[in-house]
Amino acid sequence: MLRTITPRNARVKRVLKNREAKTEENIKTAIFIRGSQTSQIVNDALADLYMLKKPYAVNFTKKNQIHPFEDHSNLQFFSQKNDASLFVIGTHSKKRPNTLTFARMFDHQLLDMMEVSIEKGTPMKDFKTPKSAIGMKPCFMFNGDMWDQNPHYIMFKSMILDFYHGQTVDKVALAGLEYVISVTSGPMTSEGKPGKIYLRTYTIVLKRSGVKLPRIELVEMGPSMDMTFGRMTEAKPDVWKQSLRVPKELKPKKKKNITKDVMGDTVGRIHLGKQDFDKIQTRKMKGLKKRTASTEDDKDSSEKKQRVNESDDEE
Amino acid sequence: MDVSGVLEAHKQKFKSVSVEGKVIPLEYDLGLLTAYDQNPIDEAELKKNKDEYLQSLSRDNAQLLFNEIFQLPTISDDNGVMAMLPVPTTLLPREKPLPKPKPETRWEKFAKAKGIVNRKKERMVFDDNTGEYKPRWGYKGINDDGSKDWIIEVPSGANPMEDQYEARREAKKERIDKNDKRRQRNLEEAAVASKMDQKTVNKGERPNMDNARAMKRKEIENQILISKNSTASAGKFDEAIKGDLKPKGIKRKFEPNVTADLSKEKAGNMSILDRVVGKNGEDLVNVRKAIKATKSRK
Repeated sequence: MLRTITPRNARVKRVLKNREAKTEENIKTAIFIRGSQTSQIVNDALADLYMLKKPYAVNFTKKNQIHPFEDHSNLQFFSQKNDASLFVIGTHSKKRPNTLTFARMFDHQLLDMMEVSIEKGTPMKDFKTPKSAIGMKPCFMFNGDMWDQNPHYIMFKSMILDFYHGQTVDKVALAGLEYVISVTSGPMTSEGKPGKIYLRTYTIVLKRSGVKLPRIELVEMGPSMDMTFGRMTEAKPDVWKQSLRVPKELKPKKKKNITKDVMGDTVGRIHLGKQDFDKIQTRKMKGLKKRTASTEDDKDSSEKKQRVNESDDEE
Repeated sequence: MDVSGVLEAHKQKFKSVSVEGKVIPLEYDLGLLTAYDQNPIDEAELKKNKDEYLQSLSRDNAQLLFNEIFQLPTISDDNGVMAMLPVPTTLLPREKPLPKPKPETRWEKFAKAKGIVNRKKERMVFDDNTGEYKPRWGYKGINDDGSKDWIIEVPSGANPMEDQYEARREAKKERIDKNDKRRQRNLEEAAVASKMDQKTVNKGERPNMDNARAMKRKEIENQILISKNSTASAGKFDEAIKGDLKPKGIKRKFEPNVTADLSKEKAGNMSILDRVVGKNGEDLVNVRKAIKATKSRK
């Protein structure tokens, strides 16, 4: 469908190389699309989610005839063209009002997607509070006991983490933790269906506390959304398994020969080779040397010599 | 002197950093800066003042998360104090499949066998002639082919009427062509090797190039035979190329134009028709083969 580009200059070649499969991947880019009909709530929500995801986000401003649950071929095309693997599609209809559809791609094919409808949403611009800088790494919080049990919740947790965790780094500047995304699960409905989920975003303010650890205060930054779950398409198990494979280089290396004993001390094991006891260098003690017949005679003569000298000294 | 009173008073001024009331301790995934709170939500509070309750709950959990983060080992960097994060425990899916290992090129194989290690060299080299630093390669580099020298001595064995500048230019062109040919050869062999060794590629190892060259050669010979056969005379009257293979025993059979046995002619024509249009109005497409073809293409 998409023509394969043969690079004619170094710059294009570099771009193509960047888009190839790599051991350590790029940060996932997200595309924010509007469906054929949208409402103010949906537009605000898309705008806010886009701001949080910048600069790894693409905002499609025009309306598209896109119905992901019926036909997801458009998503494949957009994914390949923009090298993006995350999508948020905002739609509004009488049957499904104020809906956001989160979708993920693997190898430019649909991996999984889920729909949430926004019951109540407050955009960032309605909160007259300072906002965090663009592109900062957020902290996450998932409150409630449902987050490991119900497939809707599991997928939503995975989606939010995937969207906003940015780059997986091994160190982070303590001063750079500016905001936190908190998702709370409400109680289940009386019919036993999943209840509402509450998404809130706060900026972190560190205050003095008299001890080394700072006191945390939160200031609501927005967006704030109350959502209910809609339809969901789970990933096919074999594709899901393939997407979770970790390359050998990134697997944490096992430390061998080091253990902690009962007392909590670290004990190490050193493997020496085979030792030839005859040829070990030790401290030489002449008295312990092996005596043979010839050495005995020499010793007598030397003893005799000594005695003669002694007798001479005495005299 | 009793300072404990003063300390107490000092401590009272500030709010506490500890959080009480968490029945189930929080689970943390510090690699992703995440906290999972399994404690049940106070539904009554949630109904009464939703936003305040959510804010206080989030504040408590953020406090606990930060307490954990500040416990991590830190290093001081130009960017300030950095906390060393562990490997994340939550598995998130990749966006593209794992890269396939590329087969070794001829040079890589040779270098591995000989134990040649690639050592990084400095870009700038001191040029004794000019007394300044020049790049080792590239624009205004020291190993320029010398076509810009203002004087070139005629080498002892060469024709004195020959244009040496021309000779140098030709030599450079030849070197470029040679390099290109080698690069092309590497690409072709890599393509054949990775196709052949699909099993080792799936396992994650590099495909072997040893049989790749033999296979590539066989492939080319096969293609020649096919192209010969597709000519009208089945390759019998093609112009002979030096080093070409001699296709043996190609004979084109010609049926007589008019046969006494018309049934044979009819059978022949019907078989052609069946192959083109399909027997008894069956599908033209062999569904099984089509599925296989699309699967293999993917």
